[in-house]
Amino acid sequence: MKNFAIAVVVSLLLGTGAAAQDTADADDIVARANLAAYYSGDDGRSEVRMIISDAQGRQQRRQFTVLRRDISDGGDQQFLVVFSQPSDVRGTTFLVDKHIDSDDDRWLYLPGLDLVKRISAGDKRTSFVGAHYYYEDVSGRHPGDDVHELVETGDQHYVLRHVPKDPGSVEFASYVTWIDKTTWLPMKIEYSNASSEVYRRVEVLEVQDFQGHPTVVTSRVSDVQGGGQTDMQFRYIQYDLGLPAELFSERSLRNPPRQWLERAAD
Amino acid sequence: MKQAAIRFATERPRTVYLIVVLLVVVLGAMMARIRIDTDPENMLPANQTDRVFHNAVEDRFTLHDAIVLGIVNNEHPDGIFNVSSLDALSSLSQSILQLDGVIAPDLMSLAVADNISQEGPGTIRFEWMMKNAPQTAQQALDIRTKVSRLPLLNDTLVSGDGRAAAIYIPIERKDLSHPLSIKIRELADALDSSDEYHITGLPVAEDTFGHDMFVQMGISAPLAGLMIFLLMLYFFRSPRLVVAPMLMAMATVIISMGLLIGMGFTVHIMSSMIPIFLMPIAVVDSVHIMSEFADSYREDRAPKEVISEVINHLFRPMLFTSLTSAVGFLSLLLTPIPPVQIFGVFVAFGILLAFLLTIVLIPAYVVRMKPAALAKLVAPGKTPRTNTALARILRRSGRFAFANGKLIVGLAVALIAVSIAGIYRIEINDNPVRWFKASHPIRVADDVLNRHFAGTYDAFAVISAKQDDSIATFIADAERVLADIDGSLADDIRRQLQVPAGERDRYFGDLIALLDDALFDATGPATVDAFTRLMEDAENAQVSARIFQDPALLRSVAEIQQALLQSGVVGKTNALPDVVKVVNRELRGGDDSEYRIPDTVPGVAQVLLQYQSSHRPQDLWHMVTPDYSSAAIWLQLKSGDNQDMTKVIETLDAYLSKNPLPDNVEFRWAGKSYINVVWQNAMVNGMLFSLLGAFAAVFLIMSLLFRSARVGLLAMVPLSVTILGVYGAIGWMGKDYDMPIAVLSSLTLGLSIDFAIHFIERMRGLLRSGEAFSAAAEKMFEEPARAIARNAIVIAIGFTPLFFAPLVPYITVGAFMAGIMFLSGLSTLLLLPALLGWGRRWLLPQTAVEIRPEHATQANSTLLESRP
Repeated sequence: MKNFAIAVVVSLLLGTGAAAQDTADADDIVARANLAAYYSGDDGRSEVRMIISDAQGRQQRRQFTVLRRDISDGGDQQFLVVFSQPSDVRGTTFLVDKHIDSDDDRWLYLPGLDLVKRISAGDKRTSFVGAHYYYEDVSGRHPGDDVHELVETGDQHYVLRHVPKDPGSVEFASYVTWIDKTTWLPMKIEYSNASSEVYRRVEVLEVQDFQGHPTVVTSRVSDVQGGGQTDMQFRYIQYDLGLPAELFSERSLRNPPRQWLERAAD
Repeated sequence: MKQAAIRFATERPRTVYLIVVLLVVVLGAMMARIRIDTDPENMLPANQTDRVFHNAVEDRFTLHDAIVLGIVNNEHPDGIFNVSSLDALSSLSQSILQLDGVIAPDLMSLAVADNISQEGPGTIRFEWMMKNAPQTAQQALDIRTKVSRLPLLNDTLVSGDGRAAAIYIPIERKDLSHPLSIKIRELADALDSSDEYHITGLPVAEDTFGHDMFVQMGISAPLAGLMIFLLMLYFFRSPRLVVAPMLMAMATVIISMGLLIGMGFTVHIMSSMIPIFLMPIAVVDSVHIMSEFADSYREDRAPKEVISEVINHLFRPMLFTSLTSAVGFLSLLLTPIPPVQIFGVFVAFGILLAFLLTIVLIPAYVVRMKPAALAKLVAPGKTPRTNTALARILRRSGRFAFANGKLIVGLAVALIAVSIAGIYRIEINDNPVRWFKASHPIRVADDVLNRHFAGTYDAFAVISAKQDDSIATFIADAERVLADIDGSLADDIRRQLQVPAGERDRYFGDLIALLDDALFDATGPATVDAFTRLMEDAENAQVSARIFQDPALLRSVAEIQQALLQSGVVGKTNALPDVVKVVNRELRGGDDSEYRIPDTVPGVAQVLLQYQSSHRPQDLWHMVTPDYSSAAIWLQLKSGDNQDMTKVIETLDAYLSKNPLPDNVEFRWAGKSYINVVWQNAMVNGMLFSLLGAFAAVFLIMSLLFRSARVGLLAMVPLSVTILGVYGAIGWMGKDYDMPIAVLSSLTLGLSIDFAIHFIERMRGLLRSGEAFSAAAEKMFEEPARAIARNAIVIAIGFTPLFFAPLVPYITVGAFMAGIMFLSGLSTLLLLPALLGWGRRWLLPQTAVEIRPEHATQANSTLLESRP
């Protein structure tokens, strides 16, 4: 309850601040949205359930726990992702050192093959374990990769259009985001191809407040043209757990830190 | 009825015209609604089980019809792996991806292929194979090295010889293939590239075929009409007289096709041949009428009287020839192939319509002819017509045939023996791509691509989990586990257990999610224990339902793939084990010894999870369903020959009988190549059935017509010899027995019997009117023989415009028609008189001269008594 009260105060403050800045500079909005979406607290944990549906409605599920630690707000971050479902991939673990100025460092542990691998990727727009989400959707796209333009300031949202600086590195020609003026969370993102057709949409379906941080608890990415979607539910969310830096090391790949993966009440 | 029809036609010719014109206009207007159907699948009824399964498999594995673009470089020492070619391929791929109607995510090209490779020790790299075109020769060659390590791409997207690359372009709808292939061709032409570009693929072939069918109908059918017109003009030398049968034939064709289209049937390759079949058949009867009218007409007689007499004379043979021809085509109904059935029905309809039109339209026309025209018709031709080369040859051959019965019968028996030997050599084989001429761009593309690549013809070997009672067993166990547990959580779980199970994976997935939540909220050791146990059970059940993560089954699939290659006609197979092996190899350091299936289920599952972390996770679902209960082996065949697919099927049957699949799975074929085999088998069996049926029916009609089973049998001789002869020739020539060839049997039956009916009926007429046998034999080789010979020539030559058709089946039909007419004309004019001369006392007992319907039974008994 106390947290809730703080959250209301914080969001009111932010809201007021936002209202006063309707002419805000696009880069600024993007920076704040980036912080709201990816940098809440100094660290955090969440349990994620993904339901991947194809165009025929056939489903696959994935369940994993994400531990995150920020090196600096808006800067480098560390992630540990440990799979729990389905049982045949249980214990599969990703470790990511996200860098702003260089390529991310990524490691992978596959218990079924008893194998630790370092991953090098040509780009970040590969599927995240078969979902319609890309790796980059999960880890966050660097604000400096696009040119941002504020196209509309509505009652609730800033609408921005983003054009990639290096069009050859991505599959989209541009994307538009609807950023909530109160929470600064991007509530909807639509990606367009070279023919200016929207082919992909990410939307937030539900936001809840945790420890004063408006937090996305349900989101969906849809393949607009081909059909199919992935729903992502975030649960058992906690911020500022004081996750130790050594947690995000290769050692954790083979030995998942049970202590930090245990669920706590919402 | 006969008299009424003749009276009506000769007394009210205008009314006859009006009715016919009305029918032609109304039904002709229907033809605007034409819908062309070139989908080979439609050779099978929509509810045929193999077709239903094939379509289910296309949905299950999201398989689309695809245009195949082949790019060949024969000049560069590095083949297609040079900077310029790959640059062209890359930019062409990007342009094609932008085209409307292309299913971009499923497009297959080097430019959008993913690569998995080693990057130093312990590091694996995921990236686009060729995100941007290479800049240097070495980079271009590197791509070749990379592709060679990816069996799913090698020999499919790039040829083994390194000379060619392919782009598979899945399209949303088949009818887009023509506009899209034109756009793709334009894009390719606009490139600054010296490579060859070939466009093929089934949808393109089908579409082109539809286009060429239109050409055929628009050009060949009118040409056939013109040819027949010219021939008749030659025989009768009176345009006025010849115009009537021509108009009648055109009316028949327009009304029949108009009706077919108006009734909502699509025009398939078979039905597109209806005009060209009906045209000659329709004029046949009028040739008889005209021939006899021209011979009988004198200026001192009223045309009305003469034509009535002629019609009276010819009514019975014409009715019976039309009936038997119609029966021949109607027998195609016994073939379980809808387009063949529709063809049979509407040709039969057209034949009967032509008969009706002949006996009303021709007399109506004749009575409206001016006396001057009639005079012209008779005057110039009278003497020469009975003294033409044809007339002289016929007279001589007639005398010869009657006199040398034994020799001719002996020759016929020899011909039959040789033919039967030939029939045993017939190879049953069809290949819709071979319906195009060898020089057709599609055939050329087909040849080129199948020379370079593993094959452009698809079949799918589908292995699926059998339905079993595992869920029922699970529920029973689960309810026991939950028996002593109370509370709302347990109730939720009990409810969830009863949710009807769709696919097993989903059922267990939902249950596991619920249990997972419940375990968090559960209190009390008993409850936690129960939920934990249920969770484990559900997880185990889920894992065992995912049969294609089981290494043992994957190894079986890989062995099946090997066995399929042993058939010698499979260029390559692509399946889940290939994916698992490649990813396993790269995860384990890239050494070739690691190109294998992991030993455990989690090992396989985790390898597949990695595969899905690519740019194209959806590629996996072309090989296995997301619940891992069904998998497809994609076979690439180098030819669309049904024989080859049959060989593949037999190879696998033999393999599976020695190496049976586990009890929990079942196997079935799908894919276009397999569907073609299914309808071919249905057609071959159906044709045999329909031929036998028609044979029996025609024999019955003949026996009724002649009131004698013996004469009925005699009438069957020419067509039997012809059918045997034609199919014997096909066997000896090594020409594959395909659909057009199969349909020829009905045509032969329908047309050959005509000649026999005319011959026997006229011969008996002469004998009945008191002629001595020898005199009747002489007379037979005057007008009657000439009419038969003219008919044979008109039909044979009438079909020759088919030689100019752009599609092979039409050419085949045209060529064999000439052969059929030659053989049936010959067997009628030589073998029938030979048999009559030789066995006349048995065949035509003199006592049976007067045969009236009411005496039929008596006549038959007389026949039996008079047996020598």
